[in-house]
Amino acid sequence: MVILRPEETGLKELLDRILDKGVAVDASVRVNLVGVDLLGINARTILSSFKTAAKIGLDFPEGTNLNTPAWQDLITKQPCPVCGMESRPKDLKEEGCPWCGWNYRPDER
Amino acid sequence: MRDKTMESTTFRPERTEDTGLSGAIDKILDKGLVINADITIDVAGVELLGIKIRAALASFETAAKYGLEFPSGTNLETAGWREAMIEKEECPQCGKRVDREELLNFACPWCGWESAKAKKRKVRAKVGVQ
Repeated sequence: MVILRPEETGLKELLDRILDKGVAVDASVRVNLVGVDLLGINARTILSSFKTAAKIGLDFPEGTNLNTPAWQDLITKQPCPVCGMESRPKDLKEEGCPWCGWNYRPDER
Repeated sequence: MRDKTMESTTFRPERTEDTGLSGAIDKILDKGLVINADITIDVAGVELLGIKIRAALASFETAAKYGLEFPSGTNLETAGWREAMIEKEECPQCGKRVDREELLNFACPWCGWESAKAKKRKVRAKVGVQ
């Protein structure tokens, strides 16, 4: 039985995509009165999922242990194009997807 | 007397996709969310206030997996934490979160779903016996 990646619609999929891509908000506001700078606000904000944050090298809160195996997996693992389950790229290419059996080069086997 | 309909009905666990708000929150907490912000406010050219935010939002399990720091006094030696540190994956068939290694190498302990790797291993074992 082949389980296909469920097509998701709605809020869950939307948030998932937004956080995977990352959101950067860079706003600067200047208020001046009669030519004199009165108030200035600079706001640089970034919102993203852990995976994207690790990829693009965002700062994590102080005390975060960035040496756990989960961090390594987060950067290296790739989703299977058929079922969407993640596995090591080496396994995915050489042995096929361990979850659904999808094969990169079916003819050569 | 046994009901005929009861016999013919087999309950197959199936994953139901939750696409609403609870599904969305579930996903966010599972993946983790990073919010970083640098905000400065200056009045008449003089920097008055600077705010630096480095925030990470995640479920307990995800926070433990990625080594986020917990409030001082949290006992990380309880059985619950050890359980949280085992890598888990959602079964593609029933959606239960189970030990990733068990799911990948053997079968889902809840619904019996087998991965391609587990099936391959079974075939190989059979050939080996004969």
